[in-house]
Amino acid sequence: MTMKEPNEIIIPTICSYHCGGLCLLKVHIKEGKIIRIETDDGEEPQLRACPKGRALRQRVYAPDRIKYPLKRAGERGEGKFVRISWDEALDKIASELKRVKDTYGPQAILYRGGGGNVTILQSGTPMARLLSMFGGYTTAWGYYSWEGATFASAATFGTIHVENAREDLLNSRFIILWGCDPATSIQGTNTMWYLIQAKEKGIRIVSVDPRFSDSTAVLADQWIPIKPSTDVAMLIAMAYVIVENGLQDQKFLDRYTTGFEKYCDYLFGKTDGITKDPNWAEKITGVPSETIRDLAHKYATTKPSALIAGIAPGRTSIGEQYHRAAMTLAAMTGNIGIHGGNAAGRSLGSQFPFNPFPFKIGPLMTIPPNQVEKDMPDRITVLRNYMQWRSSAHIHISKLSDAILKGRKGGYPSDYKLFYVLNCNPVNQLPNTRKWSEALKKLEFMVVQEQFMTATARFADIILPTSTIFERNDITAGGSPPFYGYLCKMFDALYESKSQLDIATELANRLGIKDFNYKTDEEWIIEFVKGTDIPDYDSFKKNAIYRIKLKEPYVPFKKQIEDPENNPFPTPSGKIEIYSEQIASMNKPDLPPIPKYIEPREGPTDPKISKYPLQLISKHIKRRAHSQFETIPWLRELEPHALEINTEDARSRGISSGDLIRVFNDRGEIIVCAKVTERIMPGVVCLPQGAWFTPDEKGIDRGGCANTLTMDEHSPCGAFTSNSCLVQVEKVES
Amino acid sequence: MACKDWNNIPPGPANWISVETIEEGKFPNLRVSFIIHKCHHCIEPACIQSCPSGAISKRKEDGIVVVHSEICLGKSKCGLCLDSCPYKAPQFREDNQSHMEKCDLCLERWEQGKKPICVMGCPTRALDAGSLEEIESLYGKNHEAIGFIYSLKTKPAIVFRSKSKINNKCYIK
Repeated sequence: MTMKEPNEIIIPTICSYHCGGLCLLKVHIKEGKIIRIETDDGEEPQLRACPKGRALRQRVYAPDRIKYPLKRAGERGEGKFVRISWDEALDKIASELKRVKDTYGPQAILYRGGGGNVTILQSGTPMARLLSMFGGYTTAWGYYSWEGATFASAATFGTIHVENAREDLLNSRFIILWGCDPATSIQGTNTMWYLIQAKEKGIRIVSVDPRFSDSTAVLADQWIPIKPSTDVAMLIAMAYVIVENGLQDQKFLDRYTTGFEKYCDYLFGKTDGITKDPNWAEKITGVPSETIRDLAHKYATTKPSALIAGIAPGRTSIGEQYHRAAMTLAAMTGNIGIHGGNAAGRSLGSQFPFNPFPFKIGPLMTIPPNQVEKDMPDRITVLRNYMQWRSSAHIHISKLSDAILKGRKGGYPSDYKLFYVLNCNPVNQLPNTRKWSEALKKLEFMVVQEQFMTATARFADIILPTSTIFERNDITAGGSPPFYGYLCKMFDALYESKSQLDIATELANRLGIKDFNYKTDEEWIIEFVKGTDIPDYDSFKKNAIYRIKLKEPYVPFKKQIEDPENNPFPTPSGKIEIYSEQIASMNKPDLPPIPKYIEPREGPTDPKISKYPLQLISKHIKRRAHSQFETIPWLRELEPHALEINTEDARSRGISSGDLIRVFNDRGEIIVCAKVTERIMPGVVCLPQGAWFTPDEKGIDRGGCANTLTMDEHSPCGAFTSNSCLVQVEKVES
Repeated sequence: MACKDWNNIPPGPANWISVETIEEGKFPNLRVSFIIHKCHHCIEPACIQSCPSGAISKRKEDGIVVVHSEICLGKSKCGLCLDSCPYKAPQFREDNQSHMEKCDLCLERWEQGKKPICVMGCPTRALDAGSLEEIESLYGKNHEAIGFIYSLKTKPAIVFRSKSKINNKCYIK
């Protein structure tokens, strides 16, 4: 039933703003303007939008939206701009691209197209295609959300598509949420709802987390607080308990895995003389040995069990070891390839191409080979069976600012002169913001395509205004259960904004690149849809969604488990690799071929802890999608941005809730409000990530951006290390 | 958020519905609960008696308590409804001249056969609304929840799903 005023139309679409889900919106439009937004009220599972999707009216019509192309008027980073025409902006960008390529070579062009909008067409792809056709560019490698999990899944299972569908949680008998808070970080639309149904069904849920998260509050029968960066030690001790008591699924291990004996040698100290029992883990993790024994018993003796290995503990300086140890535990208990189990691998990515479901798609805009990568050797830690970003021409995402700052002198493949940014906010969302502020001043030219004046946009020479998801046609695929989504253009792009595809197309004309794009956005989508199972394009467009009907929840590796002779795992051995020969051949002592505990940099045993005694972790906050939506008034009033600190740590520092506090280390300093709570372990503090970096005249970040404090390093495999970060906290004396 | 968008309420102090988080206990033995605050469309609403201008009434056909904002005297001149309500449901905007407003259970949606926007928006399907008999037969008559005191005087028309650790709540008219 539709309900509308006269002249009101309701247009369904998919919200794709990178909160972790993809949801259905029903947008009420009157005389070309949004007046209200509803969400899915059709068949279950409805894709109900979170507060961010519900607040989109204020984003589209935000007074601070970037309306026109802007040119820098003050010093770089000062944030002073003047309005210019599209012609002037595009002419300038085209001439700078040509100048930099001719003077320094294409490798001096650094491009970063991020995931701020998780759709397929209006993504970073058009600009990547254009720059490739132009002669090449340098880009980054490493997913900041989940590189540890990606590497570990690809090494262990040969693929990143490893997680059971979320609705399959209802088939579990025991669920462990490890460093995972879907009430806040979504983790695929309806994950929280499936977990609530699981709980109501009587399925026991345990939460392992330094914080008593909202998910813990609503779902968990037991909360196990653990020191950040030490999760792998507890997982290893659980493996020890399982083997000590003979609880492992030996048939599964014999048939489907390789390297279990080597892992046992490590567990029982045959290789290093250290027994990895729960007493050993208690000292490292702060979790009582009895609690570890108890959880190991429950996990090994309740089948099927789903260990959901959240990606937050993987964003540590030993992130890949945590994920490898979790997957090994899932293999030891035979919880892989079965309903109600879980491979404990790379946590489910909602959207294509990360979603485990094998979507069929039609031809998409392709990116031709990048000339900058030609003749460059592979990166050292690249896996042979995982092709992503294998060239050493790429810079690790945590090292981008360092690379801009130091270039060839710092050992990087090139000097970087031009930086082109879209769909992301690297100054804010990549580590060590102070280094970013220094690095960007070194550039010769910088372009940012944005909707808002982010910390990154403030450094641009030219800012191009981009349209929102309601102002262009686009397509997406994802979900659990899976669906295809259509994002329909509801009205013309506001002000002078343009879509990613239109900007790239106009730039291609100026660069004299023919055959860049010969289709409209809708023609691309029609091609895409032809390759899918969607029977009728027009009704798909009208409904914004085509749900794929499955007889049962999708479970990866079912074939490998049911018929292993004909369906080997896509690893070099054809088996689940507890021991990885590929990793062994990399010959890196800090990247062992079996999962191991290695003392984490900026973890609880780092000597730096005497100076900076608190472990900082960062979490999602319901009112932002990373750094997006920060200035939307309806969302801002939902919850304040504050540092969570335990009552004991606050008391010893004379801090009460609401006090202004300094949070600092050698990399930077922020000033934020304190939120004193029992919901976080003593010794740990937590800051919601994504607040806007706002330095004052002394360089102190008054916005409270977590990355002002994080280190611009990565784990041995390339995991982002934001949750390995030591800080001190003091009250600001007024 | 859905409520603010649907009812076009500007950012600020007027919240027809809000959620409070209640933390109890000491680390590591904690209990955290979530409770909603809104107009519970009491069976015997104290606000109606308190209002000198007769701006508040309870609809005979469905029991929804409604306010006629245009005849309300405003918070600065009156504000008696706020004092009388055990749940602080009457809402006022920042401006001193503002008139009382509050949850009307999305009256216009009922007329179209749709449940309130909060019920239809909750991602975990924790809310429901309907007639008293319907809701009580579905969810029982439990009036106990952490952070909630049942007013014997006004008899709020709300039940909480009993014996569930999840804070499911249902409003009734």
